[in-house]
Amino acid sequence: MAAPTVTADTTAIDVATPRRRRRSVEGKPRIAVAFTLLFFLLLYLPIVVVVLFSFNSKKSLSAFQSFSWRWYEQFFNDDQLISSLKASLFISSVAMVGALVLGTMLALALEKVRGRPARAVGTVALVPLVTPEIVTGVAALLFFTGLGIHLSLTTVILAEITFSISYVAVIVRGRLAAVSGEVEEAARDLGCTAFQAMRLVTIPTILPALIASGLLVFALVFDDFVLAFFVTGVDPQPLPVRIYSEIRLTISPAINAVGTCMMLVSVVLIGLSLVVPRLFGRKDNGLDLLSGG
Amino acid sequence: MTDLAGTGTADAPTQETAIRLAGLTKVFGSTTVVDHLDLDIGKGEFFSLLGPSGCGKTTTLRMIAGFSDATEGSILIGGTDVTSVPPHKRPVNTVFQSYALFEHLDVTGNVGFGLRRKGLPKAEITRMVGEALELVQLSEKATARPRELSGGQKQRVALARALVNRPEVLLLDEPLAALDLKLRHQMQVELKTIQREVGITFVFVTHDQDEALTLSDRVAIMNNGVIEQVGTPEDVYERPRTAFAAGFIGTSNLMTGTYEHGALTLAPGIAVPVPGHAELAEGATASIAVRPEKIWMYEFEPHMVRIPGTVVATVYHGATTQYLVDVAPSVRITVLEQNLSRARNEDRWSDGDRIELGWKPEHAVVIR
Repeated sequence: MAAPTVTADTTAIDVATPRRRRRSVEGKPRIAVAFTLLFFLLLYLPIVVVVLFSFNSKKSLSAFQSFSWRWYEQFFNDDQLISSLKASLFISSVAMVGALVLGTMLALALEKVRGRPARAVGTVALVPLVTPEIVTGVAALLFFTGLGIHLSLTTVILAEITFSISYVAVIVRGRLAAVSGEVEEAARDLGCTAFQAMRLVTIPTILPALIASGLLVFALVFDDFVLAFFVTGVDPQPLPVRIYSEIRLTISPAINAVGTCMMLVSVVLIGLSLVVPRLFGRKDNGLDLLSGG
Repeated sequence: MTDLAGTGTADAPTQETAIRLAGLTKVFGSTTVVDHLDLDIGKGEFFSLLGPSGCGKTTTLRMIAGFSDATEGSILIGGTDVTSVPPHKRPVNTVFQSYALFEHLDVTGNVGFGLRRKGLPKAEITRMVGEALELVQLSEKATARPRELSGGQKQRVALARALVNRPEVLLLDEPLAALDLKLRHQMQVELKTIQREVGITFVFVTHDQDEALTLSDRVAIMNNGVIEQVGTPEDVYERPRTAFAAGFIGTSNLMTGTYEHGALTLAPGIAVPVPGHAELAEGATASIAVRPEKIWMYEFEPHMVRIPGTVVATVYHGATTQYLVDVAPSVRITVLEQNLSRARNEDRWSDGDRIELGWKPEHAVVIR
């Protein structure tokens, strides 16, 4: 699961420093500018092709005929794809909530408890971020089958939550580290019980981080293939797994339409994670938390 | 503003004592951070806990606030034992070093937070928050968010947020440490004025001796978890009782030697007369401390203690000049001279000059 992390990071840096980047282009050697353009071309061209051909009126994947909604209609009339889409949305939503609750609890606990055991737990909690996802997938599969658990949407959700907790914990801990521990004490000093301090001060203070990590987890889980592939049941399958099975049989331009839709969801989520924290009046955006801001 | 002073202490059994610490001890692992502290702080006093970092002053404050449990001993506030009372039920409020403002609330929301927890009526809260903001001269920032405020303004919000609850005791944990020098001096004056106005007991933790001397009615000098000396600023400055107290507040010339025939022998052949200290035992090792500004270099008066020395360094400070004078191979004395008529260069002594130092006997303080 290393690839999506890198993508998210790159996006954050891109968005966070457009002015600085543009300014630094001036006076730079032309070769550097050309190289950068080539890089972005290679990075985004395949995606542009997918979007373009999702609007093709012909079945061809090499010659664009004319604009049409044909493949989108086919996608939305395909019951199997739609039920997979619904399954993916459901998995993402539940996994987001589950990972948010557990990840936030983990982050708060790690902030409170000091010493060697806490540091050990903190390190272990980060392991899923660096474990190759295929290892996580195989391990989850062995775990479920070993316990005789029938593979279904539930197993996918459990696996995705386990995997996503680290992301929430890392982002929320980043925010907590920036907030003085005295803030919670101030709440208790001003008449809050420990629980009220959490509800009235700590949670509102880390809300931008909760929103950012929630949206990130949703996006990650929504287009996750590897983990879902290992632990999913037969019907309904998560959308990425469904797409994979489809293109093994035939390559239909309808898949381009599905891909474009999925990308739209991701772009909207990333956009939200940038915009929503601003509504709370924070100048920095939620994803800055990922790039260390 | 006077009604901010109307704290609920009238029914307290001990009228004069706001805080009593009895045998207060805090042990972290194998380290004793606060060691059997006994201290009474009077009602309406501006009291400072002064000491270097790690001396236990902040831990003491946190135990009074309730954020840290006492290992041993007890804490009485207004005559009531609060040792095991949770922080939200103690009649104290804290101004934190980091200000600890609530970022999701505006200034009004921050200041009114404690009052809302108490469940006061809305109109009452609005009135009290308004008064508190007026007290700290921040009325025009009522709707600002904490991040839009400067350091000094955040400081005032933190102060108003604590004071508005009319605590019996206000605890301040190095509240001015993060401000720049000029603003810090300005806030010191304001803090003192506000304290006079509201009449609430202030317990102020600082490592800045100037700040402690300027602001406090009384100062406790802490070191290694124990109080070295408690007294008025003048007391602790003029009559330090321990070597640490003498060295921590201001600079002090500490001279250690053997007491013989009314004089302290610092080194073979170099004796400093110590008149008026008959209590010292003959042959005992003793130390005296003399403040640099109380040592004269010319125009000596009768009855002054006088010893010869050699100037080894001269440092010009603008208003004053600092001389380092060796009176014995291992005894270097710092002397601070006002630059009055001697402001011109040629009037000052230069390195290597043989001179004489003198001080009034009462300015030499015998250190335990």
